[in-house]
This record gives sequence, C-alpha cells and structure tokens, in this order.
Amino acid sequence: MKTQVGAEAPTSAAAGGDSASPSAGTGSPWRLSSWRKQQLAGWLFLTPAIAYVLFAFALPIVYNVMLSFEQTSPATIANFTAPFAGLDNYRFILHDPTSRAAIVRTLEFTFLSLLFQFVIGFSLALLFSLRFPGRTLARSLIIVPWLLPLIVTGVIFRFLFQAEGGAINQLLVEVGLVHDPIQWLNDPNIAFWTILVANIWLGVPFFTLLLYSALQDVPLEVREAAIIDGAGPWQRLRLVIVPIILPVIEVTLLLGFVFTVKVFDLVIGLTGGGPANATQLITTWSYNLSFQVFSFGEGAALNNVLLLLALVCAPLYLWLSRGSLRSSRGADR
Amino acid sequence: MSRAQRARALRWLCTLTAAIALLIILFPVYAIIVGSFESTNTLFSGTFYWLPHAATLDNYRTVLGHPSAATQETVAGSQTGAVLTSLLVGLGTALLALVVAVPAAYALSKYRLRVTLIIVSSLLVAQIVPSIVLATSLFIVFHWVNLLNSYPGLILADGTYAIPFAILVLRAFFFSLPNELMDAARVDGASEWRTFRLIVVPLSRSAVITVAVFAFLAGWGDFIFALTILNGAGIEPITLGIYNYLGNYSTDWGAVMASAVIALVPAGVLLVLAQRYIASGLTAGSVKG
Repeated sequence: MKTQVGAEAPTSAAAGGDSASPSAGTGSPWRLSSWRKQQLAGWLFLTPAIAYVLFAFALPIVYNVMLSFEQTSPATIANFTAPFAGLDNYRFILHDPTSRAAIVRTLEFTFLSLLFQFVIGFSLALLFSLRFPGRTLARSLIIVPWLLPLIVTGVIFRFLFQAEGGAINQLLVEVGLVHDPIQWLNDPNIAFWTILVANIWLGVPFFTLLLYSALQDVPLEVREAAIIDGAGPWQRLRLVIVPIILPVIEVTLLLGFVFTVKVFDLVIGLTGGGPANATQLITTWSYNLSFQVFSFGEGAALNNVLLLLALVCAPLYLWLSRGSLRSSRGADR
Repeated sequence: MSRAQRARALRWLCTLTAAIALLIILFPVYAIIVGSFESTNTLFSGTFYWLPHAATLDNYRTVLGHPSAATQETVAGSQTGAVLTSLLVGLGTALLALVVAVPAAYALSKYRLRVTLIIVSSLLVAQIVPSIVLATSLFIVFHWVNLLNSYPGLILADGTYAIPFAILVLRAFFFSLPNELMDAARVDGASEWRTFRLIVVPLSRSAVITVAVFAFLAGWGDFIFALTILNGAGIEPITLGIYNYLGNYSTDWGAVMASAVIALVPAGVLLVLAQRYIASGLTAGSVKG
C-alpha cells in the first residue's frame, strides 16, 4: 500500500508540473490570472492549518522552552512570564533523584518495550501471512487494543494485576507456578515490569499490523526464487524478506519509539507512577512537577529533555519519509 | 504421515497459535466486560471468576445515575453527563480536524506552493511532539486566553492528536485523484472553491471518513488534556470520570469497570461499522506518515 502511494505521488506531481508550465509560459491573460488565482486559493486553503500549527504546536513548544528558564510559582501562572532563572530548573532536574531515575527508567522502558513488541509483532506478522483457517478474523480482531482509550487500558491492567482477586495471580496460583500472590502493583521492584508488560501488550498489534502489510508487499516471485535456490526458511527470512521490508521495519521502530517515550495515560491508570515513584516516567513525573506541585519551570525543563529525546528521531523520520517529501518538492517546481 | 496430511496439521497448528495470541490480546477486554457485571461482593471476594458469576446490572445503575439499595453511592456520581461530554468532544475534534485538514491536504497535494515542503516536514515532526509538552504550555496559554475549562479549549488541544495525521493521510489520498478532474472543472468555469467542494470532497469520502473516525476516537479517548486543561469544574469526559473513580487506597471496581466498558462502546461500534476505514487509516497514516 505504502509503496504504491509513494510511487504514485511523484508521477502525478510531475504530470501536474508538466501540464502547468506551458500555461504559465504562454502569457495569455486568462491563464496568468488563473495561475495567480490558484496560488491565492492554495494559500487560503492552507491558512487554517498554518494558524492551527502555529497556535497548537509552535507556540507551546517555544513557550515551554521559555518556561524552563523561568522561576515559576503558582502565583506567576497568571502573568504569562516569570523572573528569569537561568539554568536553575535544569540543575534541579539533574540533581533531583526522582527526575534522574525517571529519565533512565524511560529509556529502559522504551528499549525493552520496543525489543519485545518487535519480536512478538514480527512473529505474529509472519504467522498471519501464512494461510490457515480463521486468519482473516484473527487479523481484524488484533487491532482491538489500539482502539481502546489508553486510560482504559491502564485501568484494565490495574484490575488484572491486583494482588488479591486479580486474574494474573489467580492463573499463576491455579497453575501452580507461585504459592503467594505476587505484588505486581505494590512492590517497587516489580511494578516496572508490570507497566512494561502492559505496554508490550498495547504495542504488539501496531507492530503486527504494519509488518504484516509490509510482508504482503514482498513479491511472490522473490520468495519462490529463494525457495528454488534452496534457501531454508531462516535464510529466506534473514537474507530475502528482512532486507526488502527494512524501510518499514525502520519506520515502525521509529514510531514505536516515539509512542513509547510519550506513554502517560497507561502508567497513570495502572500505577499512577507509584509505588514510591518506582514507575515514574519522564511524562508522569513532569505532570507531577507541573500540575501537582505547580513547579511549571521544572516540569518544562523535564519536558524539554523528553522533547529532545523524541526529536532526535525527527531527522531520521523525515529521511525515511523522503518519498512523500520529494513529491512536495516536485510540486514546488 | 503423507505430505498433504502434514500440511493440514501445520495449518491447524497456525490456527492454534493465532488463537492463543488472540486470547491474550482479547482477554483483558473480556475480563473487564465480565467484571462490569459482577456484584461488589464478588469483586472484593479476592477471587477472580473466569466466567460470569451472579451477573447484575448494579454497576451500570450506579454509573448511569440510578443508585439502587444494593450499591452504595460513589464519589463521582453519574457518568451520563460524562458520556455526552465525551461525545461532544469527540465530534468537535472530528469536525475541527476535517475543517482544518481537508483543505490543507488538498492545497499540499494539488497546488504548487513554495511552503509545501516546510509544512509537510513540520507536520511530520509535529506528530512526534509528546502531548505532555503541549499540555504544560497550553495550560498556561489557555489560562491567559480564557480557554481553560471550556469545550473549545479542550477540542483545540485534542486536535493535536488528529490534525497532523489527518493532513498527511488525506494528502496521500489526494495524490491519487487525477489532475484532469480539477482542470476540467476549471475549464468549465468553476471557481477553486466550487471545484474543491463539488468535485474533490465528494470523491474523497472514504479518506474523509477514515480521518473523521480517528479524530473522533482521539477526542473521545483523550486523557492528558482533559486532566490538565479541565481542572475539575464542570466539564468531565468519561476518561476523567474513570480516573476519578480510581481511589488512592480503595477503588470502586464495579463503577470503574462499568464506566470503562461504556468508554469502549464507540470503539466497538466503529470497529464493526468502519473496520475498513480503520485498517486502511492505520497502515496509510503510520507507514507513509
């Protein structure tokens, strides 16, 4: 699907350019004014979007940077600006043990989530690309976790992971794997693994779906040729299929990284960052700093760490999306 | 075993594996639906019942505002208003996304504008920005422009989930419309706006529905902005209602689960009615960005 869109876009844009350049060159008044009219119409069509992006993205990001250098207090919220604080907020973030732990934990959480989501998601994608009874149904049901509000997912897992009367412990006890219920949510050493499991559950369908649709684009002839050449299943996967779908794997991992680094609702619903701050991520701790203790400056400084982490991906993402960007440059000419 | 037999066995093994995977993926949803029909006594008995046990509608009576003798009053009260609030927010987000995104996507795919590259790049980057960053700033900005605790404020904030995605998906779709269609309308003397309204929009119905469905679900399911921009007075969407039922020390599980199930309804309805659009939107939006 994506290759089709990517391949089509430049051609149609190029065709548009071809048909339009002579019209601009003839200099006939009707055509010239029509070109002007089109530029004007294009800008008018874009105006709401530009205004929205400036108001809802550019302004908050710039303001967040400003806040992170200000000495805020509950009283300064009403004033829009507060006294300049230099690097105090960033110094606080570096010295506050909970903030530092939250940053490290976010990285661990993201890395482990991606690892498991990818391995499980890719295995399921391979499974779904085989022919077996019921695969259409299985494929359409797998997106269910993706449609739930994230806070609901958090709450569901909070219910399942209860020490007493939770389904997970009950299963483990009934099967005989454990004797005493595990304190999934109340033991600071275990709670991290609980939010990790919930997040893996949440992300697997996304990986499965995207990798599955990429596998559908591997030409049948390529796979058959590899079989004829005597490649075993593992060799076919490693040497033929993975290289072909590599671009999709990269985009999927990248988007997975971005989604995981900003996880918030899930953790709030599941543990609220507890017990004893053992599951605070950058997002939840930043929320706590800004909205529970009203240190907006410190919250903003932590936000900028998060933003930096997320934006590291931006150049890579733009590069991977170059297909759709190139067509916009084509449309420019 | 013959070759054919082995192939058949293998196929059923695949089905079995897929069934187990689906069981794990769907079980949490199943558990909460069953749990929402359990009595408070069952929920606090310390035993999890795999199958419905003494089903009752008490939890739904509690959250929908008809307290019965069997259930005690909950802290947060009725969720009926919350459902309406969420519907309004979801529809508002969908409407905002369409108004902003459809014309913009059209301009970005069919007009040769100098800013196209910059805007498309910004939209790709905008998708990456974490909502908590926006929420922290928007809280103070909204305080400044008097949008806190208001529907317009919440909907404007929720648009950040939907609008970049919507523009990029629609733009990819518009590329597939042949330019000749628009040219023909122009030669016939139609204005740019008429061409857009009468030719382009009707032809893009499926892409527009996809985008509207996603924007609705984003607005319906939003929690961060509801938590930060609505600070407790008056407006309360269902996601916030569920959160408010979660106590620090004791949780009224019956009420929580009945509200959670209510919050699942639109997703369930849309999954049945608009599955085609959801699947295409997920792949188109994510991979092609």
